[in-house]
Amino acid sequence: MTSPIDIEGGGTSVVVDGDQQPKSKPEEAKQLEGRSPGQLMWIRFKRDRTGVISAYVVIFFFVVGLAAPLIAKLYGKDPYTVFADERPELFDSAGVPLQPNGGISGEFWFGLEPGNGYDVFTKLLYGIRNSLMISLAVTVATVLTGIVLGVAAGYLGGKPDQLISRVIDFLLAFPSQLFFIASMPVVVSLFVSPRDETPVYVRVVALIAVQWVLGWMSLARILRGTTLALREREFIEAAKVSGASPVRIIRREILPNVVTPILVQSTYMLPNFVTAEAGLSFLGVGIVEPTPDWGQMFSKASTELVMQNDITYMFFPGISMIIFIVAFNLLGDSVRDAFDPKTAR
Amino acid sequence: MGKGGRHAYAALSLLAAGALVLTGCSSGGSKGSDNDKQDKENAQRQQAGISFGDAKDSTGPAAELPGAKPGGTITVLQRDSFAHLDPGQIYVSDEMALSQLIHRGLTAYKATSDDGKKHEVVGDLATDSGTTTDGGKTWKYTLKDGIKWADGSPITAKDVRQTFERLFAPFISNGPTYIQQWLANTPGTEYRKLLPDGPYKGKHLPDSVLETPDDKTILFKFKSAKPDLPYALAMAGYSVVSAAKDTKVKYDKSPMTSGPYKISEFKSGKTMTLVKNTNWDPKTDAVRHQYVDQFNIEFNKQFEDSTKAILDDSGANATAISFSNQVDAGNLTKVLADAALKNRTVSGYQPYVGQMNINLSQPEMQDKTVREAIAYALPITPFVRAFGGTDAMEVAGGLISPTVSGYDPKFDPFGKKAKPAGDPAKAKELLKKAGKTGLKLTFGYINTPEGQQYSTAMAAGLEKAGFDVQRQEIPAETYYDQVSKVKNNYDIFHTAWGADWPSASTVIPPLYDGRQIQDGSSNYSHINDPKVNADIDKANTITDPIKAAEAWNKINEYIVKDVVSNIPTAYYKQTQIAGSKIGGLAYDDVIGGVDPRRLFVK
Repeated sequence: MTSPIDIEGGGTSVVVDGDQQPKSKPEEAKQLEGRSPGQLMWIRFKRDRTGVISAYVVIFFFVVGLAAPLIAKLYGKDPYTVFADERPELFDSAGVPLQPNGGISGEFWFGLEPGNGYDVFTKLLYGIRNSLMISLAVTVATVLTGIVLGVAAGYLGGKPDQLISRVIDFLLAFPSQLFFIASMPVVVSLFVSPRDETPVYVRVVALIAVQWVLGWMSLARILRGTTLALREREFIEAAKVSGASPVRIIRREILPNVVTPILVQSTYMLPNFVTAEAGLSFLGVGIVEPTPDWGQMFSKASTELVMQNDITYMFFPGISMIIFIVAFNLLGDSVRDAFDPKTAR
Repeated sequence: MGKGGRHAYAALSLLAAGALVLTGCSSGGSKGSDNDKQDKENAQRQQAGISFGDAKDSTGPAAELPGAKPGGTITVLQRDSFAHLDPGQIYVSDEMALSQLIHRGLTAYKATSDDGKKHEVVGDLATDSGTTTDGGKTWKYTLKDGIKWADGSPITAKDVRQTFERLFAPFISNGPTYIQQWLANTPGTEYRKLLPDGPYKGKHLPDSVLETPDDKTILFKFKSAKPDLPYALAMAGYSVVSAAKDTKVKYDKSPMTSGPYKISEFKSGKTMTLVKNTNWDPKTDAVRHQYVDQFNIEFNKQFEDSTKAILDDSGANATAISFSNQVDAGNLTKVLADAALKNRTVSGYQPYVGQMNINLSQPEMQDKTVREAIAYALPITPFVRAFGGTDAMEVAGGLISPTVSGYDPKFDPFGKKAKPAGDPAKAKELLKKAGKTGLKLTFGYINTPEGQQYSTAMAAGLEKAGFDVQRQEIPAETYYDQVSKVKNNYDIFHTAWGADWPSASTVIPPLYDGRQIQDGSSNYSHINDPKVNADIDKANTITDPIKAAEAWNKINEYIVKDVVSNIPTAYYKQTQIAGSKIGGLAYDDVIGGVDPRRLFVK
């Protein structure tokens, strides 16, 4: 693999590193010779304290999401139990917890949800799990589509480029939020059988599909531009002259050079998908009760019943989501800085 | 009267995020209130029986209210604009409340106690509540002297004839149809054949049906006994229409009025102004007062908006009230917990009774043991919670409302009052006995925030008993259209129904008569039981109101306990609030809300 970015990035960084700490670790100078851009990025990233803390926070959220069933089992409750009927002594007749602060107690750590009295702690765990899984799936799908179409458009040029670019323009012109709201019920109804309840997976698949269809364009555009620039570089010319097939050129020469925008873009995209998914569920077209979901907890928190009687409830989905989104965005910044330290911010 | 999607208790607020910053921690729920007992007493007085008043009871003026004084302006905050002003088109409760002030009929309900809770039917334009000599087949009404339209012309028997004949015209499509069906002696919409064009093409109802021998006398002649006629005539939909000023379709926008107030200005969807009608003579009216100079009605006020404005209680808000809006579910607990605010509220029953219909057309639902298992398992508490707790909903035992004659508070065959969260153990046993454990149960629910909330918890309760519940959302706008189709996929679904007058004859026949099962009919559970059908025919002929009430209640008990096609869920209640300077505030069970006729400014 011959990559100009390798040489450029690696070269600069070696000099910078050397300048900064020439005396403290002289023996490292030898090892520096063999560093890959990945390793360099990793070293730069580790120095960024904000980035590392954000990464830990993000990892924590993913671990919590993955381990939600385990935690719920240890905690001894699930998010589907209607505690307002199981433990009526804890609620008034409107389903508002009698204890202050939404019924927070040693038994119910985050309190109980006004209305049906679901356990807020497990509901939040499962909500994080479901929202993150959906957003992760959307991100993977959009990144793959973006790579395939973006790189293809940039490398092939001509008619295919025209076609893909017009499709991108067309889809970008769509009012996506409105389209989500309008199309979600339609997509869901395509799968519903007359006797059965709409299964949760249909809603999940529909959410992923709708966000995927309208989510891949920005990445594809960036990759098209990058590929377009790379295509004219000497090393690609050289590969062409030496008789490499287009597939080999894309795989071995172009893709390694677009890893940076892909990684940076996807760390920006994921939190966006999380908020978009929460927004859809908030508006009632995404995940619906009783399946736990982050956005749906917001919509519950905004009802008059909760607003007037139990504002504490709002803090749990609210604060957890703010922390997650801020941490993920900071992580995205750090990743970008680590890959491309020269870009001024 | 059916219950559509007119009641939205909670609304989403997009400002939620802001409140997070502004408000600290919350204080937890309330322990309920003592309103329950009072409501029940009121209802019992109601169902003790409404008598038919004589000429003395029907003579005006209405008794003065203690402390009442004339003058002042009242602001009325309403959610929906009035779609209809033509009496023949009025069938929804907020228009009915308005018509108490502007329209008059042959009979009316007179509050006989000062809190406006006890009633009798008296003559309004007529000298009494009606006389019959042959057990209810022929009814005679005589008009009072000195009754006038708002333009000063006298109200005559000709106007009354016009009122009833025009109900057969095709453009009258929204009002009640009881009297038309009785006159034509046919069920359904067949009655229009009696006078297809109304009175507008020179044809009239024959004297064998409706006779007006002179300017003062009206005779109704039915083929079979109709003992409920005085009740029916008191409906707003049968208020009188001026023969001289009948503008057909246009009458709906600017009707001739006869009540103590007339419309001076109406901007549909925005405002309406009511001023005193100087041609209304209090001596001719036993039920209405004319204390206030003016009513300023404002529309598009959601429950939260009207509640907030009235709680504010400054300036014009101190004399503000709403005829139809109730205290929104979110503010209800707060309002009832504060003694000063609670003094400004009135609470009572709405006419509606909620019920879970079991669709008897579904093959799996034919098994009575399965239906009993559903009845035992179904938790009612989710429903009560979703609408704001026991101040808004009361767990029901039977299908007859506390506001209707014949209500029996002790009737509760499935123990719902003791175990409102359901009895899953007993249901499980029954389901096992039927060999149907794990039975798939399709539950159609109305897709509103409340519907989503209660349906999930109800499904959880039914699943504890061993059902496999499949919830299916139905859009709120078309909910009643979908569930009233004979071929629908739902095993269970929830509906509500309100009596048109305090007799179960407006509840049992429309809901449980098996002979009228068709698309769009209100027999939602498709019950077609020969005993029920026969008993309905029998009860319809009983002329003594007390005995009739007993007969209707027997049918109700048979349906709930022995057929198990409808599981009663809750009696709808509401709490309304008024500004601190409003006097004469009373909750009227017949109107199902604040009585607008007796309001004054303190």
